[in-house]
Amino acid sequence: MDSDGRRKFLGVCLAGTAAAAAVAAGYPVFRFLAPRSGATGLQKLVISASDLQEGEAKFFEYGGSSAVLVKTKGGEMIALSAICTHLGCIVQWVKEQQHFLCPCHGGQFATDGTVLGGPPPRPLAKIPVTVSGGNITIG
Amino acid sequence: MSLFKRLYRWVDLRVGIGEIADKELTGYLLPRNINAWYSLGSVLMVAFAIQVVTGMLLLVYYVPDAEKAFKSVNFIMNEVPFGWLIRLCHAVGSNTMIAALILHMLSTLVMGSYKSPRELNWLSGFLLFSLVQGISLTGYLAPWSQLSFWATTVATNSVSALPVAGPGMVEFLRGGKLVGPATLGRFFALHVAFLPLVIGVVIVVHIFLLKRTGISAPPFGRSDTKTPWQAERYRYQSHPGGIPFFPNYMLEDTTSICIYLAIFLGVVFFWPSMPFTPDAFVPADPFKTPAHIKPEWYFLANYQTLKIFPNELLGLTVQGAAMTFLALLPFADRSPERHPLKRPLFLSLVAGGILLWIALSVWGHLS
Repeated sequence: MDSDGRRKFLGVCLAGTAAAAAVAAGYPVFRFLAPRSGATGLQKLVISASDLQEGEAKFFEYGGSSAVLVKTKGGEMIALSAICTHLGCIVQWVKEQQHFLCPCHGGQFATDGTVLGGPPPRPLAKIPVTVSGGNITIG
Repeated sequence: MSLFKRLYRWVDLRVGIGEIADKELTGYLLPRNINAWYSLGSVLMVAFAIQVVTGMLLLVYYVPDAEKAFKSVNFIMNEVPFGWLIRLCHAVGSNTMIAALILHMLSTLVMGSYKSPRELNWLSGFLLFSLVQGISLTGYLAPWSQLSFWATTVATNSVSALPVAGPGMVEFLRGGKLVGPATLGRFFALHVAFLPLVIGVVIVVHIFLLKRTGISAPPFGRSDTKTPWQAERYRYQSHPGGIPFFPNYMLEDTTSICIYLAIFLGVVFFWPSMPFTPDAFVPADPFKTPAHIKPEWYFLANYQTLKIFPNELLGLTVQGAAMTFLALLPFADRSPERHPLKRPLFLSLVAGGILLWIALSVWGHLS
């Protein structure tokens, strides 16, 4: 093997060792910093039905994000993501008008999450709800 | 021309990095008889960098609150992926860094590199040694375990032996009469903000002094082992005909760094309990002092010295005098001779000092 070839071979070996060392050091650091998988899983949440009156909304944390449960004036239970589909602000419940208002850019959503007005491109995401024996199960 | 070479040329035309590399790497000549002990400075830079990076990572999950600190450290150790590795690297790294720092200072002592014109290098190095001890002490409290709580209580309490101002100084240091949440707050601020910044600045000063004065030649393998410096005017000590820093000495630096990392990672993976005693796994309880609480190994000699003197103030005075003498050694030892075998009295004192330090540490550990 000539001198240039040997030099190149050693250079490649050195670069390979350095890359392996960088991966060996970088992987634990990445895993250390990465959000923990399963920590924000979509587990079921149970709320007492008596906690919510007709025409009111209750905000809560669900699956690592913000969600809202509404009991309509007709008694129907609806759970929605509370994150505005425009730029990710948290919507507010306007009890008098029975709709959601995003305080950031004025997006409006109906109690079922459909867009009533403003810039949001999509309705609020729905979350499954079941009511049984005085308990509301979300998820 | 490859992309890398084109990029290099583009930057070089604007910044002149080739000229810097010529001057600081290939053109930076070191004495031909330079030895591996000179690479401990680079080892310490790597050790400090590891402490900074792992410390920053620990800050992501650590909560500096007396109610939550212990839980957050447990969370890091048991729940966060590779949290144990990051924390162990930080805890073990503080120990191995101090060991490397002691070796660096001992090699400087034995080779007489502290002598004129390098008194300021020695002083800045001594200051770094004190600051590293300080950052280790302040970090020791962070886990808020029985070990950290009571070791801090004992360490801060020794200041109270100082006449007149002592009790007030302890209270100021602790942020209250006893070690408590206020102590954690101020020690945390010192550990993560103030001391790293000061250490960083002193490292820059230390390297600046090294670059301005020039590196010393080892006294071994030369006929004239006396320092050639004359205090007439500033002169950079160059080494004509010496070996270039790059690639020759950088290879030696890399070898020493690899040996350090091998020892450091060996302790992390095969002796992870090294920095901890059983009290490190019990949350701090201000109403229950554990038996036989002891400081870290590098404070054991100081701890034992305080115990053997009948009066705590006397013990502190003796330690203070010894440290002051060591700090001001270049001003006391003005002989130009640097070869250790040609300085028998000095060599005997160094050997005696090391043996005394080891004996006191072992005694402190066993007592």
